[in-house]
Amino acid sequence: MMDSNGAADDTAEFNLRLYVAGQTPKSLAAIANLQKICEENLAGRYKIEVIDLVVSPQLAAGDQIVAIPTLVRRLPPPLKRMIGDLSNSEKVIVGLDLRPIGKSRT
Amino acid sequence: MTERAANDTEYESLTGEELISRLREAEETLEAIRTGAVDAVVIAGSQGQQVYTLENADRPYRVLVEQMQEGAITLSERGTILYCNERFATLVASPHDSIIGQPLTRYVSVDEGRVLSNMIATGAGPGVSGEFGIVNCLGHEVPVNISLIDLKVDEAMPRLVCGIVTDLTSSRMRTRELSAANERLANEIVERRKTEENLQLTLDAAEMGIWELDLSDNRMRCSLRHDRIFGNATSPVPFDLAALADRFVPEDQHKVREAFETARASGAVEFEHRIRRASDNAVRWVNVKGRTFYDGKRPVRITGVTADITQRREVDEQLRQAQKMEAVGQLTGGIAHDFNNLLMIIGGSLDMLGRRMSGDERVVRLFEAARQAVARGSKLNQQLLAFSRRQNLQIEVVQINDLIPTFEHLLDRAVGETVKTKFVSGTDLWECRTDPHQLETAIVNLAINARDAMPQGGELVIKTANRRVDEAFASRWEASAGEYAMISVGDTGVGMSAEVLAHVFEPFFTTKDVGKGTGLGLSQVYGFAKQSGGFVAVTSAPGRGTVIEVFLRRSTDSVPIVRKPAEATLETGTGVVLVVEDDADVRATTSGMLQDLGYSVLSAATGSAALEIIQANAGLDLVFSDVVMPDGMSGVELARRIGLVRPALPVLLTSGYTAQRAIPELPTGERALLKKPFSHSDLSIAIRKIMASVSAT
Ligand SMILES: Nc1ncnc2c1ncn2[C@@H]1O[C@H](COP(=O)(O)OP(=O)(O)O)[C@@H](O)[C@H]1O
Ligand SMILES: [Mg+2]
Repeated sequence: MMDSNGAADDTAEFNLRLYVAGQTPKSLAAIANLQKICEENLAGRYKIEVIDLVVSPQLAAGDQIVAIPTLVRRLPPPLKRMIGDLSNSEKVIVGLDLRPIGKSRT
Repeated sequence: MTERAANDTEYESLTGEELISRLREAEETLEAIRTGAVDAVVIAGSQGQQVYTLENADRPYRVLVEQMQEGAITLSERGTILYCNERFATLVASPHDSIIGQPLTRYVSVDEGRVLSNMIATGAGPGVSGEFGIVNCLGHEVPVNISLIDLKVDEAMPRLVCGIVTDLTSSRMRTRELSAANERLANEIVERRKTEENLQLTLDAAEMGIWELDLSDNRMRCSLRHDRIFGNATSPVPFDLAALADRFVPEDQHKVREAFETARASGAVEFEHRIRRASDNAVRWVNVKGRTFYDGKRPVRITGVTADITQRREVDEQLRQAQKMEAVGQLTGGIAHDFNNLLMIIGGSLDMLGRRMSGDERVVRLFEAARQAVARGSKLNQQLLAFSRRQNLQIEVVQINDLIPTFEHLLDRAVGETVKTKFVSGTDLWECRTDPHQLETAIVNLAINARDAMPQGGELVIKTANRRVDEAFASRWEASAGEYAMISVGDTGVGMSAEVLAHVFEPFFTTKDVGKGTGLGLSQVYGFAKQSGGFVAVTSAPGRGTVIEVFLRRSTDSVPIVRKPAEATLETGTGVVLVVEDDADVRATTSGMLQDLGYSVLSAATGSAALEIIQANAGLDLVFSDVVMPDGMSGVELARRIGLVRPALPVLLTSGYTAQRAIPELPTGERALLKKPFSHSDLSIAIRKIMASVSAT
């Protein structure tokens, strides 16, 4: 699992799970993009789990994943998901409500 | 997929808001698929969930990457690991999942991490690579090569970097092993070269040539020294077994071939045979020694060394010859001694008979014949004694050039008219110590041999010269280096073969017909020269004449002693003489001779008996004693004892044997020794001289 750039499991404010399929270009892009976005907006407050469905396809059922890559915001609730390679960071920030501390919700 | 979601009964329990949210999600999914924002989908089938990617076609490559023995990684632009294969996971010894998202630099040291980040950041472009040490999760460092290449998918995508991580451990190990092996090999080569050099040095010092015979084609490889031994030209000539065998003298060739043939099976070859050296055509002895090497059971080559052993063989031969001469000398010496006694008896008896003989002419003739035979026998015996070096030499300091007139006179009669005689005397000839009588005999013996060698006539040259003899020359003739006066007798006769040369000095060795040769001529020359501290050298070849050189040691004594001519008269006298002699016949003969000369004679068989008689007879005038007596007291010892009890009583010793040292001296300083065999006249003169000198003092 990937748990980088963030706080320890339990204390992380944002718990993000990214479903990828091995190294499809979109999967690789999604990982890279997510990492960048988090580091820039949520430094120290996030935890990313990358789940490779090629390695463990049964994990797709839990979050009802149909398309890959899919990012799921598990914490804070409510559960939000975003499909695609996360290349539009603005959209990601808005969609997942990755509001940096001190910034008001848009 | 939308159908599947719509038909799913679980949606029935959802609230309206949730349903709307789901619907939006489904729409978004569809939209994403449509726009290409996703490149994989999950489909639930009978075997559970299955992932289909847009690049399923890449599956073979994926398998390859997963299976390959290099670590494969995909990095983000900032060096985060986005993907790694199993091999990489094994390299860093971490579970696959915990690696994704880690910066690659985490697995290298801080210093290397900086280099690595730089490598990633500056852009791999068409490819860069470098060696790093990966510190895996177990704390072990693994040497790797990391090569990176930029992966451009499309413009919109962030830059990705692909990397191949190659484990260098085994290659490093192999390199290390290889270099260790190399080093070992290099050391071995150095060692071997040293050994070889040492061997070469040793072989060179031992003057040994090396050769190797290839048994597949009988070719030979030979060292320079080997070529030199065989007298080959300086440029190496191709050599094979046949050519080698041909170099040996004809009678040895088949033995050489046989030896090499046998060596194939026996495993070794060794022989000593004669070669003819190419450079000077000289016959040389060589020792060849080798070992056969096998491939399994098949002999493949014979390797060995060859040495020229001519000199050793010569020395051996000289030694053998010297020992033989010594043994023969001992033997003949013994025989000659016994012979002397017999001749003494015969000669002495004849002398006495002669004085009582009637005038019958026939008897006188027979008598004379007997006397001459005794004289000849006695002469031969002298030569035997000379050879065995047991003759009493009358050593004097002699200027040989002064003797040449005597030689001329002697040789005129000896050599006959067909032979021209020439004398070449060296100037300022050194004096030497020798017995001039024996030297005369030697020259006559040599001249007679020269005459016999020139039946059709020729030239005989007698030469004298000073010679400084070096060690090498001297050792060939069992002599020592030094200064010598040399007299040589050369002829232009038939010469001698090597076989004859090897035996010439042996007594009784002759190539002449019975009655013509005694085989004692050169024996006399040899023994005489040796006994007077010199030696004889012979140079001769068949058809090329002969030169025999007699070397006599230079004397530094200043005044030559002048010889006195011997008289041949009977000197009668009066007085009482005690004859001491162990041989009864000789005693009787000697006593008879003395009585004939007018002396009164007493006799004793041993030294002790003689001492008793001396004690009892105050009127004794002279003791005449043999030197060698078997009962223990020698004549010399007897003379010493007499000197103690009756110092005034003169003692005359007689011996046909070895040169005696402790011979008592007469008041005149001469040695009181009469050489055996002695004639009636010799005896008379000797006794008279002593009696005269005694009465004079
Ligand atoms: N000047 C010479 N030329 C050729 N052969 C010689 C000569 N002197 C000696 N010899 C050989 O050496 C042999 C031995 O010589 P020597 O001892 O004098 O005995 P002899 O003369 O009685 O045979 C001779 O028989 C002869 O073969
Ligand atoms: Mg002779």
